[in-house]
Amino acid sequence: MRIVIAEDLLLLRDGMVRLLTDTGHTVVAAVDNAPALLAAVTEHRPDLSIVDVRLPPGFRDEGLRAALTLRATDPDTKVLIVSQYVERAYAVELLADGRGGVGYLLKDRVTALDDFLDAVERVANGGTALDPEVVRQLFTRNSHNHGVDGLTPREREVLGLMAQGLSNAAICTTLVLAPVSVEKHITNIFAKLDLPPADDANRRVRAVLTYLNH
Amino acid sequence: MIRTTASALAYLVSSIVAGLVGLVWSLAIIVGVGLLSITLAGGPAFLGAAWVTRRLADLERHRAGWVLGTAIAAPYLPIEGATVRQRVSAVATQPATWRDLAWLVALFPLGLAGGIAAIVVTVVDLAAVVAPAWAWAVPNPRAPFPMDPLMTTMPGRFGLTVLGVLLLPVTAWFLRTAGLAQARTAQVLLAPGAHRYLVEETTRLAQTRRRVVDAQAAELRRIERDLHDGAQARIVAAGMTMALAARKLPTGAAAASDVDLARRQLDDALTELRRLVRGIHPPILTDRGLHAAVAALAGDSPLAVEVRGDPDDRYPPAVESAAYFVIAEGLANAGKHADARSCVVTLARTADTVTVTLADDGQGGADPSGSGLDGLRRRVEALDGQLTITSPPGGPTVLSAELPH
Repeated sequence: MRIVIAEDLLLLRDGMVRLLTDTGHTVVAAVDNAPALLAAVTEHRPDLSIVDVRLPPGFRDEGLRAALTLRATDPDTKVLIVSQYVERAYAVELLADGRGGVGYLLKDRVTALDDFLDAVERVANGGTALDPEVVRQLFTRNSHNHGVDGLTPREREVLGLMAQGLSNAAICTTLVLAPVSVEKHITNIFAKLDLPPADDANRRVRAVLTYLNH
Repeated sequence: MIRTTASALAYLVSSIVAGLVGLVWSLAIIVGVGLLSITLAGGPAFLGAAWVTRRLADLERHRAGWVLGTAIAAPYLPIEGATVRQRVSAVATQPATWRDLAWLVALFPLGLAGGIAAIVVTVVDLAAVVAPAWAWAVPNPRAPFPMDPLMTTMPGRFGLTVLGVLLLPVTAWFLRTAGLAQARTAQVLLAPGAHRYLVEETTRLAQTRRRVVDAQAAELRRIERDLHDGAQARIVAAGMTMALAARKLPTGAAAASDVDLARRQLDDALTELRRLVRGIHPPILTDRGLHAAVAALAGDSPLAVEVRGDPDDRYPPAVESAAYFVIAEGLANAGKHADARSCVVTLARTADTVTVTLADDGQGGADPSGSGLDGLRRRVEALDGQLTITSPPGGPTVLSAELPH
């Protein structure tokens, strides 16, 4: 897979390049600021961009904004945001177009190598990957949304794993459930959140979005 | 000695003229501004009169400097205000304005008395010194003793000269003392009074306090950045190296579980650091400002929180930081102690204040002197702000912080 990395700290940039190269990927460009990221993506058309939220020159959310710009210009751009902190607002902004092909992970997750590589694959293939921390933040609050209120605890659990980006098979393994019951839960979730049948991947992203916005 | 005496003499004599000018001007403006004050021209007339009075008083400060050595410093505070009414009030509330006027009125009797005394004493003494040159011209047979021998005989006239010369130091002393007395009186009324010193001191203290608070806010942001770019980044890098090392271990190696444990310990350290940073200064406050940070807080709160205000508004860092912690603490209290279910957070900005208001639907009864609220109060007061809490038993609790910016 051809990847572009935007990370301003040399230590982490080199570490990530080493890690991805070691695991058989090609890092076509590793840059340290947002304008360079935009230029590199336009030039190399990578399968995935891994972008730090905070980039020079302002050290605010330049990386995130650059990622949103990239996706607005080319809807096929796949972006995995990595950051040292998670904010639900950022996850909502990334997922807002409902298209998938985005992820938002804490930088720590890079060290759980298999999970990280799994997330990289998923996002590059148009899926989503949300950090368990974002999902955990959501579990701490009561819901004020009737649709989400109506979910059973089990359905919430399934939705939480869907939010992280797990496939049906992975959810089966995590919750030790039969594939049939997972599918039943997911059908119920779609129905309760009032998401009419459409492209299934798209519906998953919209379900997650509803969950994030509740 | 001769120069200071001459200065004192000049000061005393010119005071006669200055006193006359002062009296005429004072009467004119008291009557003039008094009459105009019933019309719309009253304000501008007052300001104009004050301007001229200040120039006259400046002249008096300068004149007193002849005797005192240096001119008296001007006591005026800057006149601020956009409208005539505001400027009139700014001038009228300064004690210096009225002290100037008091001096101009007092100068007339003081100047007249001092000036005449100075002229008489000087003329009499100098006349005695030059007696031989003129005393013969005014023969006066009926002059009483001792004037008769002094004026009519040659030795007497030279005796008068000797007496005059002997009295010269006394005359000089009198002129200097009288001049100094009057200049000191002028100083009492015309020099900067306690009022101006207090105003200046207050302004200075407010500025230094503001600088301390701003420096503290900047320091918090710096610590947050340093933790992210320094400590956290290094731990993540160490975790990456460890992950790569773990891959190179043969399957089932004895060290695998240790490496995995070390990796999890690094993860815990990162989680702890993140929690710490959030407590010091949440990154989103730097990234997106107060409204976004409050929205994030609202999202994490177990209460239904509604946030009102212009989401794009940014405030000075110290204000954002203080307001954030007021809201964070307020929401935590509402959930923990007040048993509230919902809360409305309002962020409003006026010309010089940011007002943060939290209103919950809880049971009330919050203790304003409790340690949490007291901490908030101190944080708000450091910015010259005000924290008000109304929390009657049964609720609701309304927490409001006004922060000048």
